[in-house]
Amino acid sequence: MRPWEQDPILTVEHLTMRFGGLVAINDLSFAAARRQITALIGPNGAGKTTVFNCITGFYKPTEGMISLRHEGGAEPFLLERLDDFRIASRARVARTFQNIRLFSGMTVLENLLVAQHNVLMRASGFTVGGILGLPHFRHAEEEAVEFATGWLRKVGLLERADDAAGDLPYGAQRRLEIARAMCTRPVLLCLDEPAAGLNPRESLELNELLLSIRDSEDVALLLIEHDMGVVMGISDHIVVLDYGVKISDGTPDEVRADPHVIAAYLGVADEEVEAVEKEVHS
Amino acid sequence: MANDQTTTPVKAARSLPSASGTGLDFGGVLKDCLFWAAIGALLSTPILTQLTAENFDTLKLVDRWYWLPISAGAFFALRLLAILLYARGGSSGTRKTRAGSAAVSRSASMLFNSLGFIMLGAAVVLPFTPWANRYVMDVSILILTYVMLGWGLNIVVGLAGLLDLGYVAFYAVGAYSYALLGTTFGWSFWICLPLAGILAALWGLILGLPVLRLRGDYLAIVTLAFGEIIRVVLLNWVSFTNGPNGISNIPRPSFFGLEFKASGENSFHQFFGLTYSPLDRIIYLYYIILVLALVTNYVTIRLRRLPIGRAWEALREDEIACRSLGLNTTNTKLTAFAMGAMFGGFAGSFFATRQGFISPESFNFMESATILAIVVLGGLGSQLGVVIASVVMIGGIELLRQLDFLKAIFGPSFDPTQYRMLIFGLALVTVMVLRPRGIISGRVPSIALGKRQAISGDLVKEGHG
Repeated sequence: MRPWEQDPILTVEHLTMRFGGLVAINDLSFAAARRQITALIGPNGAGKTTVFNCITGFYKPTEGMISLRHEGGAEPFLLERLDDFRIASRARVARTFQNIRLFSGMTVLENLLVAQHNVLMRASGFTVGGILGLPHFRHAEEEAVEFATGWLRKVGLLERADDAAGDLPYGAQRRLEIARAMCTRPVLLCLDEPAAGLNPRESLELNELLLSIRDSEDVALLLIEHDMGVVMGISDHIVVLDYGVKISDGTPDEVRADPHVIAAYLGVADEEVEAVEKEVHS
Repeated sequence: MANDQTTTPVKAARSLPSASGTGLDFGGVLKDCLFWAAIGALLSTPILTQLTAENFDTLKLVDRWYWLPISAGAFFALRLLAILLYARGGSSGTRKTRAGSAAVSRSASMLFNSLGFIMLGAAVVLPFTPWANRYVMDVSILILTYVMLGWGLNIVVGLAGLLDLGYVAFYAVGAYSYALLGTTFGWSFWICLPLAGILAALWGLILGLPVLRLRGDYLAIVTLAFGEIIRVVLLNWVSFTNGPNGISNIPRPSFFGLEFKASGENSFHQFFGLTYSPLDRIIYLYYIILVLALVTNYVTIRLRRLPIGRAWEALREDEIACRSLGLNTTNTKLTAFAMGAMFGGFAGSFFATRQGFISPESFNFMESATILAIVVLGGLGSQLGVVIASVVMIGGIELLRQLDFLKAIFGPSFDPTQYRMLIFGLALVTVMVLRPRGIISGRVPSIALGKRQAISGDLVKEGHG
């Protein structure tokens, strides 16, 4: 049995999302394994980001069930029924965005502290204790800063902790967004095209970062990616979408050899179209 | 005032890299130095140019305007020296440039810090200076009321980025709370003050709950409508609020039970063995609003450094990112709204006790617009900016009343007060053209590992509802 079938952290079943007459995702089912990197790939407009938005609660799916099970947790979280911010705070799913969404007018450190808002809010006695300056809160804040510092060191931004996030170069902003998501202490980290716009060297560094997160943190990664190099190099499991339908699902080697994937990505000669289409739809 | 949001003037920070590059950009440097000279002249006007000298048994003011060019020149020279020094120190490499500009931003923020403290000091001693007549004190109280309202609205608009065009509603709720409680039950100002704040905060929540799912222009329109609804209700609910006739004989605040009156038991001047002066009461009111405003400022500064304040600012920067990080944005907005409303309520009950009479007329849209203009003009989120903008806007209007000398130029039929709003509008447009992000733009981080350095206003977002 494959790892993502055994004890998956995330199970998506019969997910369908319609925008009016447009079917963005059609009856999609897949699972993601704990502490592994699962990649969601597909050509432009395949519905990858829509899947992400359904998982993180920004869209409510038309049909289907998305369940997330914490390790040892009895009841799974049904993500399609939770508000987006509760998916982040209770089910502990963190995400990054295709077009980076940092708090650009706040410093790098402040960005990471906002990510720890719920912890700090409880520690500050919902502001009352904080206003009075209770030592409990000061202690919690020091811990939060320490945690943030640890992540800044991991993504190589410690030097720039006090600079505005909007001042960072593009690649650094990408890494900061990942660090910010990790500061929410997630069990599932969803990355929406983390390598978009990075140069080859930065892309390589990103791969190392993602692998080190997988190996050293207790977190599963789900990523959308265009760059096949990134996907094939680091993924443990790949799901391929095309026009909102799953066309392949397996290890990188299996997916690479799948004729449907090749057809979807590279296209086929005109005379073969019919044959391939027949195969795809069968 | 002690301020939190002091920043570098963007120009000063920007001109430096050019100065520390391979060659000096003389135009930029000159402009920068002139800017500093202007600040020097501005600062020295109240401090250096007037001297109180003895004139037999009275004091008289001696003009010493020659100090103005001296101090402006000194500022110019010091700035030039600083730029030249940095130019030598950081001849190449970006790191040094950054360190240099950080040093400049530090010195600039120290300047603004000291400006805050100078203003605070001036505000504290004002009643004891020879200028403290009835008129000056009344205008000062008015300015301080607007400073407090501006600081309250700054939480909603400046920090949380929620455009509230109906802020005056909470001011009205506070004023009517005290007026009604005070005249009906005879409760004292000091009991009603917190009650008025709580009631206003409650109304903030009631308004916020249905409204805060709206964003941007829609939120602005609905808050505008709410402000009008409150005013119209106050106007038409005659049995409760006495309608357009307003509420009069609102009790005055007492000083630990001592009242400010010319005769009778328990009066302030009797207890302290002073001669009665009607100015005492005004000075007392002045200190009440000064303390209230400073409390507002202090709480805002504290809140900014707590998770809730950071959440407000994050909300202004990017609401969707906030939700993805697990922040309950509805609650966060509600707390900002309620907190702003509470300070509006405090200011309202002070307004009621100062006037002794209130009517719905005092709470029209012009008030909301003025308070919002103060916040925007001062620079969104900037505490010191609100003070400067209030002094300019409220004090400026009063100054324009004093333009009688223009009659000498335009003939005796010229009435300068007719042109007040025109001149005022022109001044506002000028400021917004020169400094589109407000007098003090940019923000100071709430926490830092090393040195806090100001963030340029260009990066800070205004919020979108």
